[in-house]
Amino acid sequence: MSVRRLMAVTKKELLHIVRDVRSLALALALPLVMLLLFGYALTLDVDRIPTYVYDQDHTPESRELIDQFRGSRYFQLREAINNYKTAERGIDKSAILLSIVVPRYYSRHLLSGDEADVQLLVDGSDSNTASIALGYADAVIESYSAQLRSNAQVRRGGQPMRVPVDPRIRVWYNSDLKSKNFIVPGLIAVTMMIIASMLSSLTIAREWENGTMEQLLSTPVRPGELVLGKLLAYFALGLADMAISIIVGVFIFQVPFRGNAGFLLFTSCLFLFGALSWGIFLSATARTQLMAFQMGMLSSFLPGYLLSGFIYSIHNMPRIIQIVSYIVPARYFVTILNGVFLKGVGYRILWLEVLMLAIYAGLVFWGASRKMRLKVA
Amino acid sequence: MRERLLCIIRKEFRQALREPRMRSMLFIPPLVQLFVFGFAVNLDVDHATLAWMDGDRSYQSRELLAAFQGSGRFEVVAEPANDREVQQLLDASRADLVVRVLPGFERDLARGRSTSVQVLINGTNSNTASIVSSYASSIITDFASQVMQERNRELLSARQVAAPVSFHVPQLKLQSRVWFNPDLLSRNYFVPGIVVNIIMLITLMLTAMAIVREKEIGTMEQLMVTPIRPIELMLGKTLPFALVGLVDTVLVIIAALLLFHVPFRGSVLLLFFCAVLFLMTSLGAGIFISTISQTQQQAMMTTFLFFQPCFLLSGFAFPVRNMPDSVQYLTYLDPVRYFMEIVRGVFLKGSGVSVLWPQMLALAIFGVVILTLSSLRFRKRLD
Amino acid sequence: MPPDSNAVEIRDLVKTFGTFVAVDHVNLEVRRGEIFGFLGPNGAGKSTTIRMLCGLLKPTSGSATVGGLDIATQSEAVKHNIGYMSQRFSLYDDLSVEENIDFFSGIYNVPRARRAERKDYVLRMAGIEERRSSLTALLSGGWKQRLALGCAILHEPPILFLDEPTSGVDPIARRTFWDLIYQLSASGHTVFVSTHYMDEAEYCHRLALMYRGKVIALGTPAELKNSLASHNLFHLEVSDLLGAMNTLEKIPGLSEIAVFGGGLHVTAADATRAVPEMRSTLERAGISVPILEPIQPSMEDVFVAMIEDEERKIA
Repeated sequence: MSVRRLMAVTKKELLHIVRDVRSLALALALPLVMLLLFGYALTLDVDRIPTYVYDQDHTPESRELIDQFRGSRYFQLREAINNYKTAERGIDKSAILLSIVVPRYYSRHLLSGDEADVQLLVDGSDSNTASIALGYADAVIESYSAQLRSNAQVRRGGQPMRVPVDPRIRVWYNSDLKSKNFIVPGLIAVTMMIIASMLSSLTIAREWENGTMEQLLSTPVRPGELVLGKLLAYFALGLADMAISIIVGVFIFQVPFRGNAGFLLFTSCLFLFGALSWGIFLSATARTQLMAFQMGMLSSFLPGYLLSGFIYSIHNMPRIIQIVSYIVPARYFVTILNGVFLKGVGYRILWLEVLMLAIYAGLVFWGASRKMRLKVA
Repeated sequence: MRERLLCIIRKEFRQALREPRMRSMLFIPPLVQLFVFGFAVNLDVDHATLAWMDGDRSYQSRELLAAFQGSGRFEVVAEPANDREVQQLLDASRADLVVRVLPGFERDLARGRSTSVQVLINGTNSNTASIVSSYASSIITDFASQVMQERNRELLSARQVAAPVSFHVPQLKLQSRVWFNPDLLSRNYFVPGIVVNIIMLITLMLTAMAIVREKEIGTMEQLMVTPIRPIELMLGKTLPFALVGLVDTVLVIIAALLLFHVPFRGSVLLLFFCAVLFLMTSLGAGIFISTISQTQQQAMMTTFLFFQPCFLLSGFAFPVRNMPDSVQYLTYLDPVRYFMEIVRGVFLKGSGVSVLWPQMLALAIFGVVILTLSSLRFRKRLD
Repeated sequence: MPPDSNAVEIRDLVKTFGTFVAVDHVNLEVRRGEIFGFLGPNGAGKSTTIRMLCGLLKPTSGSATVGGLDIATQSEAVKHNIGYMSQRFSLYDDLSVEENIDFFSGIYNVPRARRAERKDYVLRMAGIEERRSSLTALLSGGWKQRLALGCAILHEPPILFLDEPTSGVDPIARRTFWDLIYQLSASGHTVFVSTHYMDEAEYCHRLALMYRGKVIALGTPAELKNSLASHNLFHLEVSDLLGAMNTLEKIPGLSEIAVFGGGLHVTAADATRAVPEMRSTLERAGISVPILEPIQPSMEDVFVAMIEDEERKIA
């Protein structure tokens, strides 16, 4: 391997990147746009659930119950309605998510000490929001019920009844339960997969399409040098993207960073190396840029996005998909990122993930050089 | 006009379908996407991993454990003995939550004192964490009210009350009725959304790339000196991809119904009509991108930069309702949002035109505007 | 086309890209049925001019008509009357020969009844009848070139624009290609062809020499050569090429000393004085001169001389 030839390839590739101002700007804008979206706009956290109230009872008791919901920041009571039809219409048009129905004999049941029903109509189409909303409603009713029992006890002249067991819930690592705190670190992995699948996967296919590959092959440059040279150029771009993501994430979105920066840098390089090698492998396989791009989307972006545990937890997937996810390098990197950012852990806990990334990078780089050599021959 | 148009369309199909690899690229990626999305995009928490740390080891603590296990939502994976092990379990993400019963739990309960159960939740994934937290707290609260009722019964029987007083405790019971997706399966919500994703990505990208590719290899110049009209060239380059998009839609819908058993409650015709409306926007945007790109790489990057925000702001995975107000207004400018609402409405709610007409109108307006804009930009000139 | 008009008329045509003036007030007329050569080094503005005439670029100022139609206002109508072939091969590599021909027949709206006949003509003309169903990507350079020409004349356009059609093709294929151009011209087509091969320039009826955006000479090949009549051109063969060049440069009254094949071409202002002077100076420098003879200028000499004149004017 000749360093001079390697540098020549890298320099040429860097010139391509820098000359094409549009693509460069897009490559740098992409992580920013994604960060802004995920940091400001996109969240799975549910609050202000739009709610209708259908009070059939119209008693002080029913109003007190409704006030419990009004007091919660999770519910936003829109208007009082007086028939089921309106509730149905509201849910159909997605104007509301939830309708609280207080049945006619609510207060009578309550005062006579019977079990009093409260009805909830829920739009279940968005199951995640619906189940979180149900959880909140459940908590409101549960605590109000306990309060009523305690009051009844006091009225009867007893001691205020204490709840015998009280769940003390503490959340570690992300105590405010902000979805941006786990999404922003994971986004770094996804952004790099994009750089890899969109930019590096085209680089060799483009040279075949434009005929410059023949020219290159007539020189003494070796396949390994070509692959490594191209890789290094995109490596620089990938690192720039990573720096942008980390700086914006930590300083603008205030995502906690509890781990070691050196460890993060090292693992990112390892991951980037593997991801780019894969892009180049595809590029050497595909004949046209369109095909290289399609293959890149399917084999690196999509799994990076979906099977890495970035948003959707791997644990919930069917067995077969879980097994597939073991060959997705982003999976290991997302674990590392969450560990470094939120938990502040290092090698001691994450050594297996680091090892897997290293193996992946080595194998794919070898594969890419071999593919190039075969194609040349 | 018709003659020249057919000619372009025929050529486009020949090029797209000649190579077996390219042929498969038109139809396999959508199916793979459906498959991966359908199985992976899932926000349900079915088997949260639980570490059980019992400092009491009593009848009552075992009852509580049984309540957790009986709920079907938790899976006990470890029984850590000390704080260090707890720390490790959470650090390595081997447990979603740790439930810790303190020594003296049973004794406190028996004496009628208030006691607590500690729950430590791994909050890295805030969504899982908040669902897990609400499950755990409802199990513990249920357990508590059972304990309380038993205690009351014991108190009653101990007093041997003479009078037939019914000792009633006021109690509220929540009866929830979940519409459209009674089992609260997130698959039912996501799979229809994937249809939108696929139809958009394939048509947008194929159109943008196909035009820029001709620019790159120089054949566009040859076409520009022929008497072909811009509109013919534009239609000729987009109609084949519209057809591919529609075929993919049908393919993906059939696969979604067979593979994921997603309910389909609305009208197929309506869905198809709306897909055509949406295609105007997506193909128009593809042409627009091609007019501002010189190389395929630029086209691809621009496509992506356009697609990604449109898709993320459409409410596919992140409900529009949870976004900040300003961003919610922004989503009105996102054509994908309307199509997403239509597709979900037709699949899950069986909605018809009477409910969906505003979305359809919005799509039609977007389609006409984008197509007009791009045909104005689409010139038969190099400068 | 109005019967007596010129095929192409260009008036003060200008095209600028930013501050760069690619075409600088060009004036030209091309007669009907003529093979008009557009000569000049790369970057002289030939392609830009042709692209404006074909309606691919909008002129910055000036006007032009093609077949009597204004290129600024009637560019779509112009397209019915022209065939265009660019320096890049621009047919579809992934379609077969026949599919390419069918495609362009359709685009040019060749009447259905004439299509088979035109297709046969093109296949025969390009000599690719046997390869009609093979993929275009598999054809060699010369075949591709002829196929591209064939596709450009499917609709029998009266005017053909060929932008460096033979670049990158071997000499025999070039020769064959020019035979085709002659045939087309003989059958009444006007051919507007740009090239930077000097030998091809000789085949043209009339030539324009373009340099740095300007037309610096215009006329038949013979006229252009005669314009150099005042220049006396000599061919020298010497024992030491480099030494001879250095020596000759010192002699006043000589200009344009250029290596040509194995010898030198030298232009002298005064022939009678120059011959003995050259011989004696060289022999004094120890360089033998087996051949020193006056010759007729070739197109290349004309080309070099005119550009050097132009350079001197600028300087």
